[in-house]
Amino acid sequence: MQQVFKDGMEIKRIKVISGKCSGCRLCMQICAICHYGEINPKKASLRIEAHFPQPGVYKPRVCTQCGKCMEVCPEGAIYRRDDGAYIVLVEKCTNCGVCIPVCKPGVIFQHRDLDHVIICDNCFKCTKLCNTGAITIHTRPVKESK
Amino acid sequence: MANSSTSSRGLAGTTLRINLSTGEIKRYPTDEKLMREWFGGRGAIAKILYDEVPRDADPLGPENLFIMSAGVMSGCFIPAGAKIGFGSISPLTNGHGDSNMGGHLGPTLKFAGYDMVIMSGISPKPVYLFIDDDTVELRDASQYWGMGSLACEPAMKKDLGEDFEIATIGPAGENGIRFSCITHDFGRQAGRTGQGAVMGSKKLKAIAIRGTCGINVHNLDKLTEQVTAIIKRTQTHPNMAPWQKYGTAFFIEWSNDNAVIPTRNFQTTYFEDIKGISGDALVERCLITHKACFGCWMNCGKYTKAVLPGKETVYLEGPEYETGALCGSNLGMTDINQVAYLNWLMDNVGMDTMSGGGVVAFAMECFQRGLITTDDLEGHTLNWGSVEDTEHFVDMVVHRRGIGEYFAGGTKRAAEKIGRGSEKFAMQVKGQEMSGYDGRYAPGMLLSYMTCDIGAHHNRSWTITVDMAEGRDKVEGRAKVVVYLQHIRPLFDCWCICRLFWGELDIEPEEIVESLNLITGWNIDAAEAFKTSEKIWNLVRCHYLERNKANGRTFDYPPARSWEDKIPTGPSAGKGLTKEQIETMLDEYYACRGWDNDGNPSREVLHDLKLDFAADNIEKIGLLGKPLPNGIPAVRGERYKPKAF
Amino acid sequence: MIIYLRAGGQLREKLKPDVDHYTRKVEIDGEKTIAEILKDISVDSAFVALIHVDGKLKDLSFKPSDGQTITLQPPVSGG
Repeated sequence: MQQVFKDGMEIKRIKVISGKCSGCRLCMQICAICHYGEINPKKASLRIEAHFPQPGVYKPRVCTQCGKCMEVCPEGAIYRRDDGAYIVLVEKCTNCGVCIPVCKPGVIFQHRDLDHVIICDNCFKCTKLCNTGAITIHTRPVKESK
Repeated sequence: MANSSTSSRGLAGTTLRINLSTGEIKRYPTDEKLMREWFGGRGAIAKILYDEVPRDADPLGPENLFIMSAGVMSGCFIPAGAKIGFGSISPLTNGHGDSNMGGHLGPTLKFAGYDMVIMSGISPKPVYLFIDDDTVELRDASQYWGMGSLACEPAMKKDLGEDFEIATIGPAGENGIRFSCITHDFGRQAGRTGQGAVMGSKKLKAIAIRGTCGINVHNLDKLTEQVTAIIKRTQTHPNMAPWQKYGTAFFIEWSNDNAVIPTRNFQTTYFEDIKGISGDALVERCLITHKACFGCWMNCGKYTKAVLPGKETVYLEGPEYETGALCGSNLGMTDINQVAYLNWLMDNVGMDTMSGGGVVAFAMECFQRGLITTDDLEGHTLNWGSVEDTEHFVDMVVHRRGIGEYFAGGTKRAAEKIGRGSEKFAMQVKGQEMSGYDGRYAPGMLLSYMTCDIGAHHNRSWTITVDMAEGRDKVEGRAKVVVYLQHIRPLFDCWCICRLFWGELDIEPEEIVESLNLITGWNIDAAEAFKTSEKIWNLVRCHYLERNKANGRTFDYPPARSWEDKIPTGPSAGKGLTKEQIETMLDEYYACRGWDNDGNPSREVLHDLKLDFAADNIEKIGLLGKPLPNGIPAVRGERYKPKAF
Repeated sequence: MIIYLRAGGQLREKLKPDVDHYTRKVEIDGEKTIAEILKDISVDSAFVALIHVDGKLKDLSFKPSDGQTITLQPPVSGG
């Protein structure tokens, strides 16, 4: 299951420019709609952190693809796909939550309706609706296998 | 689990009824018939207030209801679907009052599983309403009582958690200042009609909501497709970039160029120092970040800071157009930092910046004319353009000290107490202060204020460009446009979505009705929507008549300045209206609505709108309109398309 | 020289766009202010609330240069 990365492949992830975010949460809505067929921002795999009243900035929190979740998963329910995304195998995931505290940006979630954790799967629907340019697709060519 | 995680068709499924006197909390399934026939939001609020509040109930007493409704479209992935409506009998107008705000509270209420919260009674001690999905509690708020709105919100977030959405009132609401507002998300306000005062009278300091449920809609796939297409299409709309950059504030200068900006309590319509308070000044000197409501891609909110010498630097949202006009030129403020500081001041004490600006301006004119003096003001002056004076005066009003007590009821009540001709320049209708447009050389706008159901407010009808296109000297023909606008614009308050994307980004009413159908599965058309809106309008009118027991016409007059004073300076110098022109507009307006010449709805029109029960009620008090000689118009408020200018 | 005018709403209808849904191409001789250009194509400048060029706010006395796109915004529908 473990993905082998080769030269010429491209890894994609979401790039964030905090200062541009206006906190509308369209990204969170479309994320839950696409993945769970429901309007429910709590089922999204990203969050907008609001720092108010001071300094007055919105910081989108997205998956940085650090891979810590895959390392700690006791069930081997998380693997890395060839576009860089960490994918949860919902049938293997026991919703134990071990991955949640190790996630630095804090974008792994549990929801009472679901029996598995929620992790970003690089569908990039969110970036397509973002009207301020706060989240965009970042593409990086693979230099060497690892 | 009391709430299922999802419910059907745009609704969350549950309505809460809370008796604050006893602390009893009851859950009911949301009345789908009420939602369908009255469109939720403003409409459902109007029907519940009409049915349940005794006609002699004191707006600040236990019998008044305080209703919070998230409508059918709020939180449903619809562009700008972020509103929440608040309603109660208004302490300013003594009639139906509703006010709405954006932010995140409306959607979050639905995500928690509730469409509407109806509160009655008065709590024996300060409480706040705590909603966390299935947990609904009234919690002790003594530690927050007395705090400013903008200080209370972060304090509560610290105690409860960052993901709670919080709405608060400030000391003004606690002290029953009749034009108090409700504040949410560090600067979103439901300001008009004194909803904050009603909340304060019930000893309800705040509302805190967290929700994890989803909302099910009728056809999510098609809705997603439609909304995504609208967003894509409007991203390249010419208005988008400037709109995102300035919000409504850019409009201040235009308003001045075209002589509609209220200046020094509506004495004139042209402000010499407009550059200092323009949208450009706001973006250059104050802007920190753009701020959007839930699901809105237009981000018109401007989060700013105000830096004034000798004052603490303050953080706030705004000033947007209305605050820029009413706390800017209307008070003679020449610097955007002054306007922003006053915006923060009023937000924090929990006063509506629009009515608050109107009240301070009225007091300043009283001071200018010697009707109030430094003896009344604890030794202070109250001069145009002075932040210090305004700050002191606001403090007197909020704490009802000395003459502040007079002004705590708004300009109408203050003018009654001060007398000596001050009624002439108390710029209000039905007790509510005017919005930021002077109607003397924009007759349609003045008619909009006069006939607005909640007192002078621009939200129901705004006609400045219509006046310009049709001729600003002419009053004829304006009524039918006002009626049309009074039908379409309040629809957004019913559905709890923002109306700005309709006006600014060329989205047709038909498209919005289509979204509504995709969310609810109702299958209605625009004509039915307009008719429902007309029904709500007429019900609110009947409610107003039943409470205030006099011919409708007597309440529909603006202050005498509107016809006695001509505009003295600026591009429209010498222009103005006569009393006859105002009477002509009212005659035309009543005819357009199918009301009689006294401004009372006729049985024929009420029957046509299925409001026979209201007709019976106003007949009992002798206020049913006489039958119209030629019958009622078949179409009331025909669709208006501005002719090319 | 050629400039492009863009507008939405009521202004768009008066502008009679020919490039795309919002944009009209206008040929002008020599330097002219936006007020003069609008007068030439009979658009009443009273209905222009805001003029936006390359992300900057301009007024009616601004003289556009060749190829520039000028965005005109009508007034908002009330605060």
